[in-house]
Amino acid sequence: MLRELYDKTGDWLRGTGPEADIVISTRIRLARNLANFPFLSRANTEQKREIERLIREKIKHAKDTKDLHYIRLSDISTVDRLFLMERRLISREHAGGDGERGVAFGRSETVSVMVNEEDHLRIQVIRSGFELRDAWKIIDEIDNILERELKYAFSPAFGYLTACPTNVGTGMRASVMVHLPALGLTHHIEKVFNAVGKLGLIVRGLYGEGTQVLGDLYQISNQFTLGKSETEIIEIMESVVPRITSYERMAREVLISENREQLEDRVWRSYGMLKEARVLSSEEAMHLLSQVRLGVTVGLIKDVTAETLNALFILTLPAHLQKLEGKELEATQRNVLRASFVRRRLGNTN
Amino acid sequence: MHLTEISGNEKREQHLCDECAHNLNNQLIKMPSPTDILANLINQVAPEIGEMSKTACPACGMSYLEFRSSGRLGCPMDYTAFKKGIVPLLEKMHGASEHIGKVPSRAGKELVVKNEVLQLRKELDKAVEKEDYEKAAKIRDRIFELSGSDDVKGTLRQDG
Repeated sequence: MLRELYDKTGDWLRGTGPEADIVISTRIRLARNLANFPFLSRANTEQKREIERLIREKIKHAKDTKDLHYIRLSDISTVDRLFLMERRLISREHAGGDGERGVAFGRSETVSVMVNEEDHLRIQVIRSGFELRDAWKIIDEIDNILERELKYAFSPAFGYLTACPTNVGTGMRASVMVHLPALGLTHHIEKVFNAVGKLGLIVRGLYGEGTQVLGDLYQISNQFTLGKSETEIIEIMESVVPRITSYERMAREVLISENREQLEDRVWRSYGMLKEARVLSSEEAMHLLSQVRLGVTVGLIKDVTAETLNALFILTLPAHLQKLEGKELEATQRNVLRASFVRRRLGNTN
Repeated sequence: MHLTEISGNEKREQHLCDECAHNLNNQLIKMPSPTDILANLINQVAPEIGEMSKTACPACGMSYLEFRSSGRLGCPMDYTAFKKGIVPLLEKMHGASEHIGKVPSRAGKELVVKNEVLQLRKELDKAVEKEDYEKAAKIRDRIFELSGSDDVKGTLRQDG
């Protein structure tokens, strides 16, 4: 199953859906725990094994999840775990964790269910573009189906009980991945972050908490999970995110109308580098891809699609390159491979 | 007994008999110890810690202090065992300490309905604020419909 994933990408990278010029993807995750077991930090090896077995069996039998492919993370290599993380099918913590744990996911990579991450169960749905309602509908249904099979830890007062009190209540984190290069270039990005913070939302890097911001890609998500219903959380996001996207669009228009030559030079130069470079670090690739993507979305560059660029953001990450080559590679070797991979994808056969 | 007191640049030495020393010592004892000072400070900064410091969860054995230092709870029961400490913490974290939203169907129909009514009332307020009276009327009808069951009527009356 893993092999099938190597040279394709998940449906969420298709570059379709509302606001797809700026919102790359929408993700919702739900944290759930079983009522009759300790949380993982306090569970012993035997209990972890029991929790994993119980959930795995239910996933394999429940309607809606029985077709998902299940992988036990202890059965696969470190590179494969990183690969799943780059793919956003598992979290960074899950890739690096230990003990009996697993993940179930579908062919389209829309749904994934992590078992024994920080909580016993982390269900997630990722969609292309700005699709919160759609993502909620799917995840709500999967949650309902699993809930019939598993006894969740729930209290009428505190809601779904989680290992960390920052997730208690709905257990829901809704996030959108946005590409904000023009706000970065015009130095307005800080203003956005400050405003967003006041509205109960937080901004993070590409792979969640504490990760670096690369390629002008940000994740905006709800901070609070208690005292607001799932629908209310979605409504807040629905009122805030379009303001950020229109702010980014405004910044793009300003760049075009007031600094057209500089912008053209910047995006074409980046495109040239991507098409000709012989050595590309991950950071540089991300940066250049971001600039070219800006060029494509404002209509300056027409010979490559946003979808191709979206895919390159993921396919050029370290574990992806190593799986592509079929062996482990040093950073310097990866940089050479990355450059040639990008050249080929952009139609340069030299 | 010899007592040396230094204040500013002045050094004052006292040579005391046992009885006088005992009296003085009593005064010294009344001074708070560093532990007391610390406990007082903790009580000021996070009052729940002082009070909760001896609490442990009967189900998983985790103590409240362990939870506060790691930030992770040991089992679902901890929310009940540490309730006194957790409620103010949740208030700080989420600006709320009560769940509104989805309820697992096995938690009972009563609770499902109660939460839906709570949510609808919020929506009703919003609709009225926006002067969308058509929507407000629909929401109101739905609330009445749900309130047909006795337990919810109780909730509604209680909340005004």
